[in-house]
Amino acid sequence: MEVGFIGLGLMGRPMALNLIKAGHTVHVWSRRRESMRALLEAGAGDCASAADVARRAAVTISMVADAPDVEQVALGPAGVAEGAGEGHVHIDMSTIAPAAAQSIAARLAAQGIAALDAPVSGGEGGAIAGSLTIMVGGEAAAFERVLPLFEAMGSSVTRIGEAGAGQVAKACNQILTGVGVAAVAEALNFARKSGVDAAPVREALLGGFAWSRILENHGQRMLDRNFQPGFKAWMHHKDMRIVMDEAHRLGLALPAAAATAQLFSAMLGSGLGEDDSVAMLKLLERMSGGPGE
Amino acid sequence: MGMKVGFIGLGVMGEPMVRHLRAAGHEVALWARRPESAAALVAEGVPLCATPAQLAARSEVVVTIVTASADVEALAFGAQGLAEGFASGAIHLDMSTISPATARSLAARYAERGIGWVDAPVSGGAQGAREATLAIMAGAEAAALARVRPLLEAMGKRIVHIGPPGAGQVAKACNQMIMVSTIQACAEALRLAAAHGVDAAAVRTALMAGSAGSRVLEVMGDKMLRRDFAAGIEARLHHKDFAILMDEAAKLGVPLPVAAQVWQQLNALMGQGMARDDTSSLLRVLEAAQPGA
Repeated sequence: MEVGFIGLGLMGRPMALNLIKAGHTVHVWSRRRESMRALLEAGAGDCASAADVARRAAVTISMVADAPDVEQVALGPAGVAEGAGEGHVHIDMSTIAPAAAQSIAARLAAQGIAALDAPVSGGEGGAIAGSLTIMVGGEAAAFERVLPLFEAMGSSVTRIGEAGAGQVAKACNQILTGVGVAAVAEALNFARKSGVDAAPVREALLGGFAWSRILENHGQRMLDRNFQPGFKAWMHHKDMRIVMDEAHRLGLALPAAAATAQLFSAMLGSGLGEDDSVAMLKLLERMSGGPGE
Repeated sequence: MGMKVGFIGLGVMGEPMVRHLRAAGHEVALWARRPESAAALVAEGVPLCATPAQLAARSEVVVTIVTASADVEALAFGAQGLAEGFASGAIHLDMSTISPATARSLAARYAERGIGWVDAPVSGGAQGAREATLAIMAGAEAAALARVRPLLEAMGKRIVHIGPPGAGQVAKACNQMIMVSTIQACAEALRLAAAHGVDAAAVRTALMAGSAGSRVLEVMGDKMLRRDFAAGIEARLHHKDFAILMDEAAKLGVPLPVAAQVWQQLNALMGQGMARDDTSSLLRVLEAAQPGA
């Protein structure tokens, strides 16, 4: 398939490379040319704008930071909508608010472009391995057409429902992973403050009902005091703000997510924003009287 | 000596505020989005202008007390807005509760045109407006505040200059946090007393004399005991205020763990359809979580 890819950051770059590996022809454009280099070396087509990408491809994918960026890429000057031909599919794989995804999809549909929101879970590791979890909102017909592309980037691909539904699933994912990281950090900090070695605690818990992927992966990185991103705390903070704004709009109480969002705020305000989310442990240590050894 | 004053926002607060300004000898004119909301004052001989711009053209100071940031922005710089009518040296005195960021931005835009700005949100509710006992927290340049001080003194009792434009709104955000969090604490305390089978009214009376005594326990605690949930200030307005202050706190990286939980209780209140009831309905949110208890 002729595929355009816009947004070649930590996640986007390996995702686009996996598309090439699966035999698709990929066209790329980026605001910062140097981020295109790895893709151009792998044989991707060099484009001058998002519109140019859309002109050359039947499907464009965007993977950028936030809703205004998605708007700009899809509907801004020299954006996808300007270059897209009849039957074009635009897939946004960024994490943005469900309401924003719905609004963008409706405006693209008015121009004859099918839009899918397809946010992912699995981090940089999942992007490199092609094992991302992909949650999709949008029309079934468009979903079926681009399924081979999703399968080149992820190992678990689910169509959740209509436009915006993928972002709703991603918000649910962020509630679980955000609260989960906080819970694992609290448990490990609790063990150590109680004078118990946290490593065997984690080991034991992995065999029981408290098992989770977060306890396994994030818990290990906390024990290793490896706070390199991964998934930066400020990005998780952004996602939690989306969740809390939606809860406000819906008249919905999310007490555990709310507490977690405040911990992420504290991380940002105390210089831990560029660390991985697992630096939640450092924050909790400071709150309870000084960092560990 | 009386000033020429324009007034916009004739809700439960605005109407008595206009009467106090007139009683103090100021020459007041009005604009209203819904002219019928001005009927009572017009019948008393207060002139009604056709647009905000016309009102501004005949006023030294225009007072606004409306719902949201977007309302104030539209009144100020929308079509036929205040900025079109103000003469150089006039002042927009906004007494609404809006975001500090919006207040700062409006002040800057007015300053380019030689027009002054004062943000002066109030605390004290409908009763404070009727009795001219409002607490007023002002954000302004000292000279602008000095000019509008006679107007503020006609409407309120305690006028504190907090700092430059926007600072009044910061103080108001702090006010809302403390007040609504205290309402929640009162509701929880009354539930605790009731769960023990103890007379909650007697508890409240005892507490009023001690360290837990507060205006909220006095007024809202009494409303809760009488199960009088008719607004005072409608809960949806506190809900709106919380979205503003939590969003700004997230941007600043300031954790507000208690306020975050109170926000969730407000979300639940909205979800249960009590938007237009009094915020003392937070008691009913707790009750709804334990039907039959």
